[in-house]
Amino acid sequence: MRILERWLKQYGDFSIDPHELAERLTMLGLEFESVQRLDTRYNGFVVGEVLTKEKHPRADRLSVCTVGTGRETLQVVCGAPNVAPGQKVVVGLVGATVPRNQHDPSGAPFVLSRVAIRGVESSGMICSESELDMGKDSAGIMVLDRDAKPGETLASYFGLDDVAFDLEITPNRPDWLSHMGVAREIAVLTGTLPRLPRVKLKESAEPVGKHLSVTVEEGENCPRFAARMIRGVKIGPSPRWLQNALRNAGLRPRNNIVDITNYVMYECGQPLHAFDHALLRGGRIVVRGAKEGTPFTTLDGKEHTLPAGAVMVCDGEREVSIAGIMGGANSEISDATADIVIEAAYWKPSSIRKTAKLLGISTDASQRFERGADPGGVRYALDRTAGLVMELAGGVLLKGVIDVYPRKIRERTVPLRVARVNHVLGTKLKKPEIVRSLGLIGISESGVKGDTVKFRVPTFRVDVEREIDIIEEVARVYGYDRIESGSGATFSFRQPFPAVSREQTLQEAMAGRGYQEAITNSMQQPKKAAMGGATPVRILNPQNQDMAALRTSLVPGLLETAARNHNAGNLTLRLFEIGHVFRIDDGPAPKLVQNYLEEERLCLLLTGSSAPVHWSSPGRDVDLFDMKGDIEFLLAKFALDKSRFISYSTSKGLTDNTLGIEIQGSYAGYLGGISKEVRGLFGLERPVFVAEIGVEGFRRDIRKAYVPLPRYPKVKRDVAFTVDAGIPAASLEATIRESATELLQSVEVFDVYQGEQLPGGKKSVAFTLEFMSLERTLTDAETEAAVGRVVAGVEKAHGAALRSMR
Amino acid sequence: MHSEITSLREEAENAIRTVTDARGIDEFRVRFLARKGSIAALFDRLKTAAPEDRPALGKMLNELRSAVQQMLDEKSGAIQAPASGEAAPADLSLPGRRGFIGSKHPLTQTLDEIRAIFVSMGFGVADGPEIEDDYHNFEALNFPPDHPARDMQDTFFLGPRALLRTHTSPVQIRVMEEHQPPLRVIMPGKVYRNEAISARSYCMFHQVEGLCVDRGVTFAELKGTLIEFITRYYGAGLKFRFRPTFFPFTEPSADIYISCFICGGKGCRLCKQSGWLEILGCGMVDPNVFRSVGYDPEVYTGYAFGMGIDRIAMLRHGIDDIRLFFDNDIRFLNQFRQ
Repeated sequence: MRILERWLKQYGDFSIDPHELAERLTMLGLEFESVQRLDTRYNGFVVGEVLTKEKHPRADRLSVCTVGTGRETLQVVCGAPNVAPGQKVVVGLVGATVPRNQHDPSGAPFVLSRVAIRGVESSGMICSESELDMGKDSAGIMVLDRDAKPGETLASYFGLDDVAFDLEITPNRPDWLSHMGVAREIAVLTGTLPRLPRVKLKESAEPVGKHLSVTVEEGENCPRFAARMIRGVKIGPSPRWLQNALRNAGLRPRNNIVDITNYVMYECGQPLHAFDHALLRGGRIVVRGAKEGTPFTTLDGKEHTLPAGAVMVCDGEREVSIAGIMGGANSEISDATADIVIEAAYWKPSSIRKTAKLLGISTDASQRFERGADPGGVRYALDRTAGLVMELAGGVLLKGVIDVYPRKIRERTVPLRVARVNHVLGTKLKKPEIVRSLGLIGISESGVKGDTVKFRVPTFRVDVEREIDIIEEVARVYGYDRIESGSGATFSFRQPFPAVSREQTLQEAMAGRGYQEAITNSMQQPKKAAMGGATPVRILNPQNQDMAALRTSLVPGLLETAARNHNAGNLTLRLFEIGHVFRIDDGPAPKLVQNYLEEERLCLLLTGSSAPVHWSSPGRDVDLFDMKGDIEFLLAKFALDKSRFISYSTSKGLTDNTLGIEIQGSYAGYLGGISKEVRGLFGLERPVFVAEIGVEGFRRDIRKAYVPLPRYPKVKRDVAFTVDAGIPAASLEATIRESATELLQSVEVFDVYQGEQLPGGKKSVAFTLEFMSLERTLTDAETEAAVGRVVAGVEKAHGAALRSMR
Repeated sequence: MHSEITSLREEAENAIRTVTDARGIDEFRVRFLARKGSIAALFDRLKTAAPEDRPALGKMLNELRSAVQQMLDEKSGAIQAPASGEAAPADLSLPGRRGFIGSKHPLTQTLDEIRAIFVSMGFGVADGPEIEDDYHNFEALNFPPDHPARDMQDTFFLGPRALLRTHTSPVQIRVMEEHQPPLRVIMPGKVYRNEAISARSYCMFHQVEGLCVDRGVTFAELKGTLIEFITRYYGAGLKFRFRPTFFPFTEPSADIYISCFICGGKGCRLCKQSGWLEILGCGMVDPNVFRSVGYDPEVYTGYAFGMGIDRIAMLRHGIDDIRLFFDNDIRFLNQFRQ
């Protein structure tokens, strides 16, 4: 919303520097995007009169003009087709900066110099709207009014001696979408309430009812519909002051009637619409619901299909306007219009918003109505418009107003407890201070009962309904910065939530192990999102197909990250990500929202070298056992002793050589090498290993009891078995544990050998065993017996042969 | 036997030279020193030697055993730690064995710092789902259906009344549904908005939400708490201001700005010439929000706040393109070592 300083001052003068004004209004809740003087951009631009026009001798599309600027006559080469002698035009003089360069894609400004164009000298430029950044029209030069005086500065011609404030308006304050609304806020600074211009209307004897009737069938959605009629208006361009005001506020002038309705809307916030009475069949207006599917052409020429529930303004036969959003082409004001009907209504906000959303239209009118216009301001706006029409377009105002307003929306009365103000704000404000503050924004005291003061709230303040809304107004006007900050008044030691999360512990652990944390987009291509092996959740309104579904696994995101890094030459990667994955699940798993199952996971990715380059060793690339080791590290770090790996014989999902990870007897995740096919999909040439595991499994809520330190020495024995090459080391280890007595403390594989010293199909697996008793030092005999049991057990269970023992 | 001892010694001296790794060390030990190794075999044969020769031979064998043991010890020491002691290579300027250096994502680091401050002020940490329902994301937070306030946050929809959360505020509702006051909690997490992707905005980003509910919590305390946070996080000496604004779920609501730490408030590109940086939105919990979770707004008051982690990290590190966070180029990530 653009607000102009000169326009604002019509409702109450003030002398505050524009930047200071912006700063002080900012502290009242208005948000300023910019504050700018309008004239500074147009130094060196003047009104010129085209005196002559000749064809350029060496270019068909160019003409050579002489232009009078009052003091001198300039020769200017011009490329516009519409330039003609006698026109008043905008001339940029040599040295002036043209705001927009039409021939530059970025539109950057450029400085005019004296140039020769195809051999003809040109001392200046005749400008188009687009070059002046005043509009979009770039097809031809801008033609000014005939009465423009050559030599007059552009700033003076266009009334640019003004300051424009560009505001971002929060949805709770539709009243700020007008100059009067902003002027009311300035009253907080000046102490003087602003005034709208007084309207005096001269009505004819002919009653409006003779030519117009209004029926409201949609009373719920149209609480108020008012209209007036003026006969015999003369349609034409608006006077310069009106055109300038609209243009400076960012609107495009059209004709006097439309311009007036826009002007009044920007003045007091009430959208208005004017119909050509001759086009209203039967002289009737009926407000009713649309028939779903009816085609309708709005006055911008666009065709729409009306949705169910749309409220329409109709005449005796057909729709003529989409209520509160945009008028129809079938009844709009044209040069031939003589009699007009002006509509000022109050529409139910949610109805307008629904229809505007369904139609995909957002207009100045719909924005105001859907946030809430002022039901109490309808009549003023209607009369103000009628007054301006008669002043600027002539005509005779018919007697009376049609105002269908069966249930008057009155000013609200809101009670406020003074103690509650201080209870919420932490202030020590007293009643007179509160009453004075609220008075500055038009909220007045209407009664007192004990500590409770009743306040009357004007109808344009749609956001003030409850006590807390009044408290906010008090805080705002009093000043947030003046409320002294306190601390710790309510400190409580109770705290049901932990200070350190499981995610943090995992992040610390992985960063400590040399992994870098990545964060990737949860929204993915549906194909990639489905790679986790579940049906992904689709996004109904995705930005594009690359982000149309939610990930079911963290792996594809990290593979994309790996591919991007490989392309950048980063070949060694150790990445981890902790994030949510999503899927639709109709099973019994507990869910927070409908049938959407959301799970937090940790994903690891390894590729490239196993260690940084070092002179002492040739180095090697990572393999599956690096990944397995990192998972073992995590399981050990979280003391998850009851965990194990399950080998899958076939490849599963994204990986080959897949190992399932089980924690406390339930599946927690997997690790493996990304299969060649999947690597191909991501453009990854080098081997990549991943692990993905549910964060839920990393629970460590059992505090273990302390185990006394052993008082007797450990005895170490190494045993090596020759077994069939297909027997997993883990089965041998399991048998060792089963066969041994409680004297066995630990088992570790320390060597695996397969080669010429062994028969084909055999391998040797060597274990280090540690034995210890908590009660005594073990004798050789006891140790030998313990080892003997282990050896016998393995030999029996796996057909193993003892290869060596020491 | 005397000569056998001598030749075994030579054999050991030759063998130890070829040992280069732990496996070799082991093989060497098995061959010479194990209970069934060559030296043990000679000790066994001591019984068969002439009794008068036994003491001398025994002494030789003992010397051999300790000499071979010493060879082994030196070798294994050299293999395990070549830079230690006498076996060290001459050039100590060679680099040591460095592992890879990991790091947490810069957004995680920023969150860690923010969280540490609030935790030290008595806040706990809670989280919630990223797929939300309309009720928790909007309705319970006092966004009426068909209200323009919903347009403030462009939403990705997933199904009837299901969406990707547009802010972390629904976690407030979930926390209050599960717990009774007093509450002091922060709620970090990912949020999603259907906004055009550019250097300044991404369709997914991170927020930290805060909530404090108790008897007698005031706007003054909200100010005190957040000023303390700002001072600890951004450092003392910054100016700050609280400006009225609108959020459906708080009233009164405020945006907090700090004086720009690049230009000191004079105006620069970062602060768009305003001298101020917006860093936090906050306000007193709206009574309608309390009603939706069954708290009595006459008994309890509270404040809530929220900030964008991505934006804070960008300001903090001078990062001019938010997309860098999600490209995860390790040359970028490597710059944020702690």
